Amino acid sequence: MKLKSLLSSSEFIVFLGLLAVGAFFAFTSPVFLTKFNLLNILLQSSIQGIIAIGMTFVILTAGIDLSVGSVVALSGVIMALMLHAGVPVWAVILINLLFGVAIGLFHGFSITKIGMAPFIVTLATMAMARGLTMVLSDGKTIFDFPASFEFFGAGAIGGVSVAVIIFLLYALIAEVVLRSTVLGRNIYAVGSNPKAAALSGIRTHWVLYFVYVVSGVSCAIAGLVLTGRLGAAMPTAATGYELDAIAAVIIGGASLMGGKGTIIGTIIGVLLIGVINNGMNLLNVPPFWQSFLKGAVIFLAVMIDSLKNRPSEV
Amino acid sequence: MKPSPLLETRNLTKVFPGVVALDDVSLTLNPGEVLGLVGENGAGKSTLMKLIGGVYTPTRGQIRLGGREVQFRSPKDALDAGISIVYQELNLIPHLSVAENIFINRLPRRGGFVDWGRLYRQTREILESSGMQDIDPRAIVADLPIGVKQSVEIAKALSYDARVLLLDEPTSSLTGPEIENLFQVIRRLQQQGIGIIYVSHHLDEIFEITDRIHVLRDGKTVAVMPTAEATEEVLVAKMVGRDIQNIYYKGDHQPGEVVLEARGLSDGFLKDVDFKLRRSEVVGIYGLLGSGRTELLKAMVGARPVHVGELKLRGRAVRMRHPQDAIRQGMVYSSEDRKGENLFFGNPIWKNITYLAIQVGHFVRMGFTRTHEERSAAEHYAKKLNVKAPSVDVDVYHLSGGNQQKVCLAKALITDPDIILLDEPTRGIDVGAKLEIYRLIADLADQGKAVVFVSSELPEVIGCADRVYTMSEGRITAELVGDAINEENVLKYCLQVGTTGEAAS
Repeated sequence: MKLKSLLSSSEFIVFLGLLAVGAFFAFTSPVFLTKFNLLNILLQSSIQGIIAIGMTFVILTAGIDLSVGSVVALSGVIMALMLHAGVPVWAVILINLLFGVAIGLFHGFSITKIGMAPFIVTLATMAMARGLTMVLSDGKTIFDFPASFEFFGAGAIGGVSVAVIIFLLYALIAEVVLRSTVLGRNIYAVGSNPKAAALSGIRTHWVLYFVYVVSGVSCAIAGLVLTGRLGAAMPTAATGYELDAIAAVIIGGASLMGGKGTIIGTIIGVLLIGVINNGMNLLNVPPFWQSFLKGAVIFLAVMIDSLKNRPSEV
Repeated sequence: MKPSPLLETRNLTKVFPGVVALDDVSLTLNPGEVLGLVGENGAGKSTLMKLIGGVYTPTRGQIRLGGREVQFRSPKDALDAGISIVYQELNLIPHLSVAENIFINRLPRRGGFVDWGRLYRQTREILESSGMQDIDPRAIVADLPIGVKQSVEIAKALSYDARVLLLDEPTSSLTGPEIENLFQVIRRLQQQGIGIIYVSHHLDEIFEITDRIHVLRDGKTVAVMPTAEATEEVLVAKMVGRDIQNIYYKGDHQPGEVVLEARGLSDGFLKDVDFKLRRSEVVGIYGLLGSGRTELLKAMVGARPVHVGELKLRGRAVRMRHPQDAIRQGMVYSSEDRKGENLFFGNPIWKNITYLAIQVGHFVRMGFTRTHEERSAAEHYAKKLNVKAPSVDVDVYHLSGGNQQKVCLAKALITDPDIILLDEPTRGIDVGAKLEIYRLIADLADQGKAVVFVSSELPEVIGCADRVYTMSEGRITAELVGDAINEENVLKYCLQVGTTGEAAS
């Protein structure tokens, strides 16, 4: 990419925002810049990050997936029950991933074959998945899993948390798929102009199936990491995560109209939200104000991008 | 002293960073006059319109209205001064009534509520004064035919007590009778002393409706002449800056064996269509908007489900379920709707050119795109088709209509298909680009390709096609060959309803 277009890209501007917010916390809190704290931010961001990567795929096609938070919780409870029933860890993980695929196929089918709006379908799944989570867990938190299972959320390799490794690896794969494969290009094409995409020979329905499957699988992976890290499957886990994920994707420069956005942008968006959460905790900002300030930052970030991209003539 | 003109620009110049869009243009418009403004895309017509309409402010020069210099800071200033623009794209709100649309931002009120009685009365007055008394002020805009919508747009422009009316390509989506209606409205306004600037690519319209013609090229005035003294050859030569001997071009080819054949094709709209296309042949399809031209092409490439009928490709029965099937078998369709169905705005030229090719394995290895090859092939085709842009990295959104069309053609041709279905490839583009496209179509047939050329413009169908099908209401009404391809026949059959498959030669 040429330097000029790099400097004027949405991603770069949000990156500057991330540096500015980071600098502010570095000056106001002595703890912020420590290695321990920075790794902690990365760790806390990894679950959000995995979900937001899936959300990026969906939003690129001008879709939305509101079910992610509930699906993460449901994935956790399903795995917990299977583990307690004595299913081996590898099978639990495999079934969990297939569960993510199934959720995605259900969304893809409802949207392409039945013609339902993504917002409505995933809103329904959001409620259904949360309901099932409660039913299956009887509303109670489930504990006590094998160490080999918790490794995926709580373990570390060479001092780096496994959760972070999964997040970064997943991001790398997603970036390569979107940037360098025909499938990735088709995702942008479908988001940019679905009719032109179909007439250009793109099987638009397959593309939509794919992105919702990616989102479902992302939730399954996030469920694995979250449950392992907490050492518990909580029926109320990941509540509201869908909004944080959407916010991260949009902050990262994607457009809800589809066709625009990158994984790099999303990651910067996730880190920005992570840094703000962490910094406010360090500064002992009261929780109610935290929510307000986070909203204000999201507003500012998107406002700057919108002003920059505002058409210059009528 | 001569009375001062209604509207005058003196040495009007507009410089954008890096480009002089309008260079020293002096134009006059007299009361009751229709001035034709012609030029290729990028010649400065829109810039001139936008300066007069207050959208842009001039870099240099003056705009004078009724002999006094005026300065517009916004479109509203121009509107208040009596200058209204009707843009090519209609800006009406579909689910509101005609009256509400006309008075959208100044509905008459009484005590905080809309005074409906007064609204409809005022609307009726405006419609009557411009000869549109047949339009019901209460009608919902979405229910009106497009020609009537256009009239409503003009009535809206006039409702601001306009003395000067700028019409930008007003007929681009109108049919013959609707154009006639529009011209009647224009003549009526002329009698009321309103000055009209009429921008169009359709020279026949310019000849019919205007009193004088102002020709722009590269931002400069190259000619101003009374319409009575102008000819098509002279105008085109002025617009493109060189002499044109033969606008249309048939090339040098002899149609060969049948490569594509449809028999009894029917779906919800098409009715029992028989269609043949030969190697080394240009087949023209002529019909009014909604006659089934687009539906036929889409049905043949698998973009529309076919209920009944048979499709044979190179002698073998085929079933196209998706446009990708057609592309794989060397048959491409290029949509008429550049923005809505063909291009990916927000994406660079090169990606637009290769989107179709990468679906069928060009520039791809193991699912990964080979960006370098892809980009240089796109560059090659952009150059071959003479796409004017600083580089292939430019967003197609920024290109003129003609250049966007060339990108569409490059996209269709880059896979080297031998059956090429072009749906209105010359719609809304300038003369220079049209000539290049006529030439390209003939060249493709010379190379042995089979080309379908759909058009709404009679002369180009007659001038370019080896064989012509006329369509009406989802049926093919005639097949014309040789001398039978003439204006009279084509018009007769495209307005005909009910008969099928009548051949004339």
